[in-house]
Parts: sequence; C-alpha cells; structure tokens
Amino acid sequence: MSGADRSTRGVRAGVRRLLRLPLTTTARARRDADDELEGYLDARVQWLVDRGMSPEDARAETMRRLGSSPEVVRSQLHRSAEQRERRMQLSERLDDVWQDVRYAARGLVRRPGFTITIALTLAVGIGATTSIFSAVNTLILRPLPFPRPNELMKLTLVVPDQPAFRGTDQMAWSYPKYVKFRDVQPAFSDLTLYSAVAITITGDDVERVRGESIDSHYLPILGVTIQRGRNFDAAEVAQPDAPRQVIISDALWKRRYNADPSIVGKTIEIDAEAFRVIGVLSPGFNGLSGSAELFVPITIASAQQLASSGSHSYSLLGRRKANVTVAQAQAATVLAGGQVSAAFPDRMATAGQWSAKAQPLDDARVAPIVERSLWILFCAVGLVLLVACLNIAGLLLGRASARGREMAVRLALGARRGRLVRLLITESLLLALIGAAASVFVALLGTRLLSAVNPTAALGVRGPEGLVVVSFDTIRFDGAALAFTLGAALVVGLIFGVVPAFFATRSSLAAVLKDDGRDGSRRRGLARMTARRGLVVIEIALALVLLVGSGLMIRSLANLLSVDLGFDGKNVITARLSVPPGTTTSDSLPAMYREITARLGALPGVTSASMTDCAPLAGRCSISTFILGDVLIPDPARLTPVGIHRVTPDWFSTMRVPLRQGRMFTEGDRINTPKVVIVNETAARRYWPNSSPIGQRVALGQGGMDSGTTVIGVVGDIRQRVDSLPIPEVYISYNQAPRSAALVFVRTENNPSSLGAAVRRTIHEIAPRYPVYDIQLMSSRTAVATTQARFSAVLLGLFAAVALSLAVIGTYGVMALTVEQRTREIGIRMALGADQSTVQRMVVVEGARLTIAGAILGLGGALMLTRVLSFLLFGVTPFDPATYATIVAIVSASALAASWIPARRATRVNPTDALRNG
Amino acid sequence: MAVLKGTLDVLVLKALSWSPMHGFEILTWIEERSTGRVVVEDAALLQSLHRMEERGHVESEWGVTKNSRRARYYKLTAAGRAQLRAETARLLDDADALITVLETKRT
Repeated sequence: MSGADRSTRGVRAGVRRLLRLPLTTTARARRDADDELEGYLDARVQWLVDRGMSPEDARAETMRRLGSSPEVVRSQLHRSAEQRERRMQLSERLDDVWQDVRYAARGLVRRPGFTITIALTLAVGIGATTSIFSAVNTLILRPLPFPRPNELMKLTLVVPDQPAFRGTDQMAWSYPKYVKFRDVQPAFSDLTLYSAVAITITGDDVERVRGESIDSHYLPILGVTIQRGRNFDAAEVAQPDAPRQVIISDALWKRRYNADPSIVGKTIEIDAEAFRVIGVLSPGFNGLSGSAELFVPITIASAQQLASSGSHSYSLLGRRKANVTVAQAQAATVLAGGQVSAAFPDRMATAGQWSAKAQPLDDARVAPIVERSLWILFCAVGLVLLVACLNIAGLLLGRASARGREMAVRLALGARRGRLVRLLITESLLLALIGAAASVFVALLGTRLLSAVNPTAALGVRGPEGLVVVSFDTIRFDGAALAFTLGAALVVGLIFGVVPAFFATRSSLAAVLKDDGRDGSRRRGLARMTARRGLVVIEIALALVLLVGSGLMIRSLANLLSVDLGFDGKNVITARLSVPPGTTTSDSLPAMYREITARLGALPGVTSASMTDCAPLAGRCSISTFILGDVLIPDPARLTPVGIHRVTPDWFSTMRVPLRQGRMFTEGDRINTPKVVIVNETAARRYWPNSSPIGQRVALGQGGMDSGTTVIGVVGDIRQRVDSLPIPEVYISYNQAPRSAALVFVRTENNPSSLGAAVRRTIHEIAPRYPVYDIQLMSSRTAVATTQARFSAVLLGLFAAVALSLAVIGTYGVMALTVEQRTREIGIRMALGADQSTVQRMVVVEGARLTIAGAILGLGGALMLTRVLSFLLFGVTPFDPATYATIVAIVSASALAASWIPARRATRVNPTDALRNG
Repeated sequence: MAVLKGTLDVLVLKALSWSPMHGFEILTWIEERSTGRVVVEDAALLQSLHRMEERGHVESEWGVTKNSRRARYYKLTAAGRAQLRAETARLLDDADALITVLETKRT
C-alpha cells in the first residue's frame, strides 16, 4: 500500500483527527481493513523473500496471487469490514442496554420499599387518570358511530315557559308539527322521527321490553345494517294505521327467539296485537335511546292520534345538507320553527310563542352537566397525578443525592458521563414501566366501576331529548386509554427521572468524598434540599385545592340530601304496573285498582298500600292547564300550567304527606259523584292567597275535569326536583279519572325489600297477564335523583384524600431528611444545653414553614379554581368560608403531624455521636 | 484444488484451534497441512475472517509479528470452538456418505 493510497481516502479522516474527533465507524473499519491487507501482503512478501526470492519478484508474485486488482480487493474488504463493525456495534449497544436494564432491576429489587412505593404511586395516579380518560373519550371525544356524524343534528321544539317544570326549555315534537316542519325546512337532506316506547311482548312469556317507534328513514340515516330481512318500506309506512310490522334487535333475536333462522316473516304478539317480523338488525345497535330491542313504525297509530298536535312525544334527527353550515342550519331551523308555531299556535302559552332549535348531535350526546363534571373530574385526577409525580420526583432526587458518591467514583474510574446518565434514565424508565403495568390493572378496575354507575339515566335525560346513544356502560378500557397510560408513564419517567440523573452525574469525586462538605457539595446538597422543599410546598398546595373542591361538593351533597322532600319514602317499596291497551275497559280500572290495594294492604307486615301515576323526583310527571273558575276556557291571561297526578285515596297517608286543609279522597268519590281535586300548598298560596281554596271551583285540561270541579283539600308540598322549589300541583282520584298506568306504593313496618315477590304475586292474582316490573325501594328512587351529586362528591373526595396522603408522605420524607442533614447541628445545640423540647420545636417550626407556604399557595389556587364548580354546587358558594377554614385546619394538622415523627427522632440524637460522625 | 464452497470457514477455525494467528499465517498453515492441495484466495480468506468475527466465532486484536509488522491477530472464541466441532462432524459425515456412494462397485 502506497502513501498515496492512504492519503486519498484519508483526507476527511485526517481532518477529524486534526480536530480530535473520533473516527466514524465507516472510516475506522476501512482503515482497519487497509491495515490488515497491507500487513497480509507484507507478510507474504517477507515469506517469499525468506525463501530466496528477490524483493521485487516477491512483490510481483504477491500482487499476482491477489487475483483481482488491489482496488477491487480493497473495496471488497472495506465492505466486509464495515458490515462487521456495524453489526458488532449494534450488538454491543444492545448488550449495554440489556446490562443497564439488569443492573437497574437489581438495584430496584435491592430496595423494595422504594420500588414498591413508586410503583404503587404511579399505578394509582396513572390508573385513576386513565379511567377518567376512558370515560371522557367514550362519552365526549370519540366520534359517534354513524356515517358522517358531524352532519347529524338534533332538533327540538323550544317552549319558553317550561323550565320551571322540567328544568329545560326543550320539548319533543308532535306528529303534525313534524310534518309541517318537514315541508318548510330547507337545510336538511334527510329527517327521521323516532320515539322511545315501552312495549309488552305478550304471548306465552310476558315480557316488558324497551323499543322505539321509528320511520323508514331512521336506519338509513344512522347507517345501521340489517342482517336478515329488510327495513320498513317508505310507502307502506307513510299512512296512519300502517301494517303491523316490527324489526327486532340482534340481542332480542338471540335471547328470546334463540336465533331462529326463519324468524323473518313470523308473527309475534306485541301489546296483544299480532306483528310480523320483517327484519333483524346487525349486532350492537340498540337505538338512539340506548336500550331498544324492537322497532315499530310510528304510523301504526291511528290517524286521530297522529293528528293530535298537542301530543309531543317524538324526537327528531336531521342530516344537514353538505353545503349548509351548522350556523345556517340552526338559523333555518329557527325560521322553520316560527312557521310551525304559527301553524299550531299555543293559545295557552304565557311566556311567548314556541320555536325550534337545532344542535349538532355531538353536542347533545351527554347532558351538559355530565360533560362538565367529567372534565372537572379529569382535571382533578390530573392534579392527583401531578402530586404523585412530585412525590416521585422528590424520592428520585433523594436517591440521586445518596448515589452522588457512587456516581463520582464511577466517573473517576473512567465511566463516560453519557453512559451513567443512560443508566439512571434506564432505572427511571424501568420504574415507569412497572408503574404502567400496575396502572393497567387499576385502570381496568376503574373503568369497570365507572361503567357500573349511570348518572345519565338518573338525571332523567330521557325526557324530551331521548338521546342516550353513548351511555356510561359503554365505557371500556380501549386502545386509546392504553396508549394514554403508556404515554403518561413514559412522560413521567422521563421528566422526573432525567432531571435527578443530570444532578447526580455532575458531582466531582473530590467534592463528594469530602465529608464535611464545604462549598461545592454543600451548595449542591442545599440546592437539592430546596428543590425537595419546593416540591412539598406545591404538593401541599395542590392537596389543599382538591380538598376545598371536594369539601364544597360534600357540603353541597349534604344540603341536597337534607332537603325536605315533602314525603317519607322509608320502608316503602314500589312497583310499576301497566295495563296493555285493549285488555280491559277504563270503567273496570277503578275496581281493579281498589282490589289490588286492598289485597296488598292485607299482606303481613304491610301498613298501607296505594297507587299513583308517577313517582316523585322522577322528573317525568305530567303537566296540565288549569284555570280558576267553572269551565276551562282558552284565555291566555287566566290559564296556568300545573303538575297533575292521579292517586288512589290512600296515597297521601302511605307517603305520609300531611293534609293541611279539608279532606282526602275517599271511596265515595267515584265516576258519577261530583268531581273533586286536591291541591298542594304552593298552589293554594299562589291561586288563593287570601282565602281558603276549599270549595272553590277549578277546571283542568286533563282527566275529564274541565268543568264542575271543586277543591276539597290541601296537602303538603312534594318536590319534583331535589334542587328546585316545589311547583303548584293538583291531584285527582283514579276512581274519577282512570288511567292504565300506575305505580304501586306499599309501606311496611320494616324490611320492605323482602316484599318484592309478594307484591308481584298478589297483583298477578288479580291481573295475571299484566306486567309488574321496575320493583324498587322508594329510597332507591330517591337516591337516583342525587346520583350525580354523590358521584362527583365521592370521586372528588377520593382524589382529595389520595392527594393529601401523598402530600403527607412527601412532607414526612423532607422533614426526615432535614433532621438527618442537621444531625450535627442538633448535636451541637444539645451539647450546648438545648433541651429536648427546644430541638423538637426547631423541627416543628421547620415543618410549619413548609405548611404555611403550601397553605397560602393552596388558598390562592383554590380561590381561583373553585369557581368552575359553581354549576355543581347547591346551597353553598365557591368561596364558603366555613369550608375553607376547615380544610386549612385539616391540611395544617396533617402536615404538622407528618413532622411529628422526625421531630421525635431529632430528640433522640446523641450529641457525642452526632459531633463525631456529622 | 480450490477450496470447496462453504468449507473455508471451518478450515480457518481449525487453523485457529492450534493457536492465535494472523491472516497470512492461517493461509500458510492450511496450505502446508493440506500439502498444497488446498488453495485459498487471499481476499476470500480475509472476508471469511471478517464474517466470522461478526458472528462471534473469532475475536481479533492488533498485534506485532516477529518481523515487527503490525498485524490483526485472530483467536477462537468458545462459540467458535463449538462451531468447529459441529461443522467438522457434519462435513466428515457428508464426506463419508459421498464416499460410500462413489465407491460402490458393480458386482
């Protein structure tokens, strides 16, 4: 090899050598290959010369033996050498990483307390956050499972004077109003009308199922496929009295009909009528109401029913035209709504005319209160995660300090700094991965718990809106949640592992080995101490914010629970009874109800039994128009809406609702006796402020009480919504206004839940074919009304408790470290005569400083942040002083308690030992 | 003969089982042991050494020959030893099979 060869390829290598940069792998490999070849050829030349050849001949022979030209051979060797270097380097790197992992694992196993603490902290923090994230993702973020979901919009009517009764101004559609809207609207390419219904499948096995009545556009708009049979035919279902056809869900087909392959074309009996099955839906679709198992056409109703413009029971969904924006669609809906309102004026509206509005389906998927609660919970759990991470950072910092010496020695012995940093990062990542694995379990458990709760049902969202497409029981721990978990673990591991890693490897050997730690290392130690103190202060602050939030929620819940509902639901069990249409005349209903209540009252342990048509606090009771006077006349100035209820005579005494004036209904009030009503206190105060309502004449828009009706009694108020005042209500007797739906209420002396079966049996003795279902304790029904508040309060309380525990642990850690670091100082003080209580006070004062700093920071944070809770609170403001004072006291006490043990330990310091060892 | 395909590696390993050597030493050892019957190409030999180092059958370090020249010395690793044993057994077995077939005489 000549020098010229070497220089042509070596210019760049030479420059690198000049700049003292290491050669690249490629250059190094080539250089090695060239050197090897050169040595090899020289060896042959020498061998030939030793055997007598002349040097020139030897060189010529060597070149000849080479076979190809030197350049070709060199490039072949370059290639093989480069490949060798690359592969060997890669395998070496992998070996390094594997070595790091094994070393890190050994280190973690050697300190089980440290490892388990961090893993558990991460597991709880990340797991809880992931659970809430799954809920948020499923309910709010994930796109709806329909084709082009952003084009779908929910349309409702708007009633100006409704909020007091139902809490919302939205109203469902009636069929004639829908037809008018459909004819005048310009913005939607397709509309579908649907309604949730409860249906009884009669026949051999009577079963009550939920279903929907739909039109022929429903399935196509939602992109739902049919696995057998067909959809309703548009022409067939266009007219009233449409053919009795039904489409069943996959779940019902499998459950009740054993996946009978010839189900299409068969007849099933629904509400005592024969319906022909024309299709089976693909699995997984349960209607927009979330629980529908069969679907019938809307138009099976009679022409008379469909022409009733005041019967608002349908929901409307529309698909926007492609070239129409959301805003345009909304404006067009308002305009069309005005036209509908003009065509069907509400003569009894007191606060303005009706209109219509449109809302993207995505925005209507969960009730706003649920959505906002979820986001708040997500942020709250994020705060908990932050506290957990701060704790971990503190622990890692502490560990880094302890290993400073080890790192310095390694550095001095020649380890590369980058390698050490990689080692520490591997440790952090390994910890993070262990934590992530554990957090998957916590998250699985958490999502299952969340999906068992179902606040959307509790809130009565099924009213006019009727949309429960996405409900809590579809929360799953899915791919997105898993990715979130792993991502969070990685971020935590990197951020909170890398920083201490850098700190740890910066130390120089000499400074660290020096025992008394002057200048450099003491400054570093102090810096780390300050950092840890800062972390703890932030932790205390965050815990305080969470505690204030949960304290407010708990007070709010307590207020809700202590509201006087107006009745006593303890020891009462309820059941729903429904009489399928056509099975009995309304004349015979009063006798049947009388018999049922009599038999139930005769059961052992029962003190009272009665019926009403809607349960308190369900938010679904009827409204009727009401007027003072003899006859119902349509005069807007005098008509008002009131709540209306049908009851059997004993209902007030079953529910312990007090009678304020006059008398209750008796069996003497029948169909052919004078019509009577009972009003509640609110109605009495409002309509007869200066006189007694007893004996006054009124008229109602329902129940046949539109003339000649007298008030005979006044009862105590019952609340229909926990968080709002009672509304005026009127009660009429079932005997005078029969209705085929009723709720049975049975009061027992004790243990009402054991009566469930007996109630059903008794009713079936009298009415064997009528479904008795939804058997619940009255206290469960009441509890459901406060589910949302309880859910939020419990979760927030849980988060706050976890955050406080973590902050206490963190404080303890820092205080323990302080004592350890100041052992020498303590020893000196004690030697100079300080007694135990002085030393204790020293430590406690230190702890108090941290606590006060954290409390001040936390108070500031709480004042700023708790106002987002105001929509959830009841009876308490976000700045409630009592709550704040209590929480500050709790936090201070906890943090001081955390300083207690280190303080005790400080007193046990032996001055001589302390001075000797420092 | 030119070295049979696939047998160069095992011959090199055999050489190294004697003692660590550098490239040219391996070549002369093989040629001497086979009394000149096996001829190895220079480039092929060096490439074989690179390959086997990549696979971990040999390891290398720079050394100095008795002529004070810089040379890359190779030595056998434990994996290489195992590979030598296995390959030798296999080749001898294959050869035996060949010989049996080729030596069948007509009867």
